[in-house]
Amino acid sequence: MNRRFYTTLLVMLHVLAVNAQVNVQSVDSLDKELDLHEVVVTGTRTPKFLKDTPIQTRVITSRDIQRTDATNVMDLLTQELPGVEFSYAMNQQTHLNFAGFGGQGVLFLVDGERLAGETMDDVDFSRLTMAGVERIEIVKGAASALYGSNATGGVINIITKKMHSPWTLNVGGRYGKHNQQRYDASWGVSRKRWSNMLTANYNSLDNYDVKSDANPATRVISTIYGDKTLNLKEQMTWKASERLSLSGRLGYFFRETCRTPEMPERYRDFSGGVRSLWHISDKDVLEANYAFDQYDKSDFQRLVGLDIRDYSNVQNTLRTLYHHTFEHGDPSIGLRTSVLTIGADYMHDYLFNSNLAATKYHQGNFDVFAQYDWQISDRLEVVGALRYDWFSDTHDSHLTPKLNARYKILHNLALRAGYGMGFRAPTLKEKYYNFDMSGIWIVEGNPQLKPEVSHNFNVSAEYTRGHYNLTASAYYNLVTNKIATSLPYFQSPTDRLPYLPYSNLDRYNVYGAELGAQARWSSGISARLTYAFTREELPTNKDGQQTNNQYIPARPHSLNASINYDHAFTSHYGISIGLSGRVLSSVKSTEYRNYYDISQGTVTINYPAYTIWKLSLVQTICDAFRLTLALDNLFNYRPRYYYLNAPITDGAWFQVGLCMDIDKIGKSCRK
Amino acid sequence: MIRCIKNLLCLVVPLLLAGCEGILDGLYDEPQPIVAREGQIVVDASDWGTWHYIDFNRPDSIQSHPIPTILTGETDGKSGQYLYWFDVWGEGIRKNEFREFTPCDAQCDPEEWAIAVHRNNVRTNGGEVLETSFSSMDELPETSEPFHNMRFTPDEWSENEVWDSQEQMLLCLIPSQGINVNKVLSSWLTMDIPPMPPAFTRNPHVFILRLKDGTYAALQLANYVSPSGVKCYLTINYKYPY
Repeated sequence: MNRRFYTTLLVMLHVLAVNAQVNVQSVDSLDKELDLHEVVVTGTRTPKFLKDTPIQTRVITSRDIQRTDATNVMDLLTQELPGVEFSYAMNQQTHLNFAGFGGQGVLFLVDGERLAGETMDDVDFSRLTMAGVERIEIVKGAASALYGSNATGGVINIITKKMHSPWTLNVGGRYGKHNQQRYDASWGVSRKRWSNMLTANYNSLDNYDVKSDANPATRVISTIYGDKTLNLKEQMTWKASERLSLSGRLGYFFRETCRTPEMPERYRDFSGGVRSLWHISDKDVLEANYAFDQYDKSDFQRLVGLDIRDYSNVQNTLRTLYHHTFEHGDPSIGLRTSVLTIGADYMHDYLFNSNLAATKYHQGNFDVFAQYDWQISDRLEVVGALRYDWFSDTHDSHLTPKLNARYKILHNLALRAGYGMGFRAPTLKEKYYNFDMSGIWIVEGNPQLKPEVSHNFNVSAEYTRGHYNLTASAYYNLVTNKIATSLPYFQSPTDRLPYLPYSNLDRYNVYGAELGAQARWSSGISARLTYAFTREELPTNKDGQQTNNQYIPARPHSLNASINYDHAFTSHYGISIGLSGRVLSSVKSTEYRNYYDISQGTVTINYPAYTIWKLSLVQTICDAFRLTLALDNLFNYRPRYYYLNAPITDGAWFQVGLCMDIDKIGKSCRK
Repeated sequence: MIRCIKNLLCLVVPLLLAGCEGILDGLYDEPQPIVAREGQIVVDASDWGTWHYIDFNRPDSIQSHPIPTILTGETDGKSGQYLYWFDVWGEGIRKNEFREFTPCDAQCDPEEWAIAVHRNNVRTNGGEVLETSFSSMDELPETSEPFHNMRFTPDEWSENEVWDSQEQMLLCLIPSQGINVNKVLSSWLTMDIPPMPPAFTRNPHVFILRLKDGTYAALQLANYVSPSGVKCYLTINYKYPY
C-alpha cells in the first residue's frame, strides 16, 4: 500500500513541477481560478470575498462537488478535507470527527439555519445531500460568538443554489455496487420578480456483509447497513421591489434503514422557513427570518403495519440581523468600508424521546450579538464580536467573545490570526436522558451539567503566486467542562446494571495544523494536496481519573490529494479525468479493559492506517450531458478488520452515472 | 412595504402556532395494547429471567416462574447457570466457548402446561414439534392427521441458548440456563449477533405440537414486538385441539 501511495505522490509532484515550467509565463485570472473570488458569508455573516475575509474559510465549490460526484456531505468532506473522518458509534450510528471535535462540537447549517435532531451526538448527515448545493463553507475553530451553542470546533455551512437563469431542468442518475442507486432532479424557473427552485433526490443502497479476520482487537462490523433516502426541497423567492425580497422554503426528508427486516427504522424531517431581506439604504440591510425544523424517528412494525414514533426534535427559530456599512478613509485613494452587524435570535427547542425521564421537554434559547468588521487599512482588517445566550430550562447564560484579524503583508500574502470562544450548552438529552442501553448500562442524564467551553487560538498564512496557492494554519483549543459520558458506576451494591452518567470532564487540549497547496494551470491540469495534523488529548474526569474515549479519537495524520485534467476537444465534447485519494494514519484509542470493573484499567487499541483512491472520468457532451465513470477504492483495499473507523468498503467499487441539463440540450448542440 | 410585512406575518404566524411540538402527527400510530383475538395468545416474554407457561386448556391464565440463579438444596449436577464467552463483537454468537458452571436449583414448573416461552426460547411439556411449510393457520388441513406419521422433534438439552442475563455482555460473557428446549419450535424466532443490538428473525411457518397426552396443537408466531417496540413480546396464533 505504501509503495503505491508514494509512487502516486511522486507522479503528482512530477506533474506539478513540469506544469510549473510550462506555464510560468501564462497569466490569467488567478484568484478566480483558485476560487479566491468566491463570496463567502459564514465567517462574518456578511458577504466577503474569500481572499479578503479575516476568518480563514475553506470553500468547496459547485465545481468540486461536481468533480467528486459526492452524494452527501459525508462523501464530499472525506474526499475534500483532511482531518475529517466519519466513523461508526455503537449500532453503526455515523459519528464525525472534525479536527478533534465530535458531532456536537461542529455546527452544521443549511443556508445559515441549524438542523434539528441528533443520533449519538451527530446530525443526520444523510439529510445533507449534494443535490441543489451551490457551495460549502467551512470555518474551523470556535464560532459561537456568531452562531451560539455547538460551534466549538467549527461551522460547516451548506449554501443552496439560487435561480439566475430563466429556466433549468436537470435530471441525473448513478448506479454502483450493492445496488447503489441515486436519482436527482431539479427544476428552476426565474422571472422578473420571482424565482423558484425544486429539487428532488433519491438514494438507495442494499445492506451487505463484510468479513474480518479472526481475533480482532476490539469490536468489528459484519454488516454494512444501506438505506433508502428521499429528499425534496422547494425554494421560492419574490422580489417585492429593488430593495426588498422575500423567500420561502419547504423541505421533506425520509430515510429508512433496515437492521431488522420486520422493523425498519424510519427518519423524517420537515423543514420550512421564510426570510426577508430589506436593503433599507445603500448602507443598511435588515434581515428577518423564521425557520422550522422537525426531525422524527420511528420504527415501522411491518407485521402489524404500525409506524410508532419514539423521537421528535422540533426547533422554531426567529432571527433578525441588521448590518450597517461605514465608509471611511480618503475618497481620492478609495474608501474603506467597515460593517457593524447586530442580531438577535429566539429558538424554541422541543424534544420528545421515549428514553427521557419525562418524555417531553421544552427549552427557549434567546441571544443577542454584535460584530464590528473594521477595515483599518488596505492591509489590516479586524473583526470583533460578542454574544450573549440565555437558556430557559436551567436559566443558564453565557457570554462569548471573538476577535480575528487579517493582515496583508504583500498583495498576495495574507496572515490571519484569531481568538474565539466556543461553548456548547448541555442538550435536553444530556440533562434528562434515562436510557437502558440494551441491558448493558443505563445512560443517565445530569441536570447539573455546565456548558462546555473552548478557547480557540488560530493563525494562518495564505500565499498566492502564479498558478499556485499555499496555505498553512495552526490552531490550539483549550476545552473545559467537556460534556461526555463519564466513568460507569453502580448506584448501590444491589444494582444489576452500571450507570453511565453525563458529566463535565476536566480541561484538555486539542491542537493541530494544516498545510495545503493547490495549483491550476491553463493546460487544464489542476492539483491539490492538503495535510492535517490533529492531536486530541484524552480528557480525565474532575478527579483526575482516566476516562474511556467516548468515540475513537482523531487520526493524528491525514492527507488528501487530487489531480485533475480537464480538456474540451471540441465545443461539443470535453473530458475531465480525476484521481483523488486520502491517506489516514493509524490511531491509538484508550478503552476500558473491563467496563464493569474500571479498576482493572484501560487498554490501548491501535486502529490501523489506510489509504483509499478514486479514479473518475467525466465526459461532457454538448454541454448538456455528463457521463461519469468512476472507480472508487481503485487499489481494491479491504480492511483486515472492519473496526468502527475502518473505511466502509469491500473492495473496488465501480459507478456509472448520467446527468442531463435538459434546458441546454437544444442550445449547445446547435452551436 | 406594509403590505409586504403583512404578507410575511401571515406566513409566519400560522407556522409558529402550529409548530412548537411539531406537525403531521397523523403520520404516526399511537401504541395501543394488543388485544388477543380468538385463537390467539399474547405474552410478554421479554424478561430475561422468567419462563412463561401456557396451557391451551386455559389460554387466559399464563403462569410465570423465574429462572433459578441460586442453589437452595442439593445440586442435580446439571441444572444451573452455564457461563459462555460469545464472540459478540467479532464473528458472532455462533462462535462461543464454555467458561464456568454454577449449580442452581432446577426450573420450577407448574402442574399443567403445554409450552413455556422465554424470549426466543420455547420448551414443551414432554411434547414434540414438527415444522410445516404452511404460513397461515387458514391453509392447514382440517385435522392434524396428515402430520401424524411425520418426524417430530422432542426437546433437547441446551446450555448456551437460554440467555438469562446481559450484565456482562460488554465482556462477551453471557450466562445461560441449562435446560431442555425445543429447538424446532424455538426456531419461530431466531436471534442473531452480529449485528448488535441483536437481529430477530421471525419464521412465519406453522408448527404442529404433539403434546405428551397425544393431542395436537397448531402454533404460529404472529408477532414478536410490543406496540412500543419491545422485542420478544409474543403474539401466538394457536389451534387446540387440532
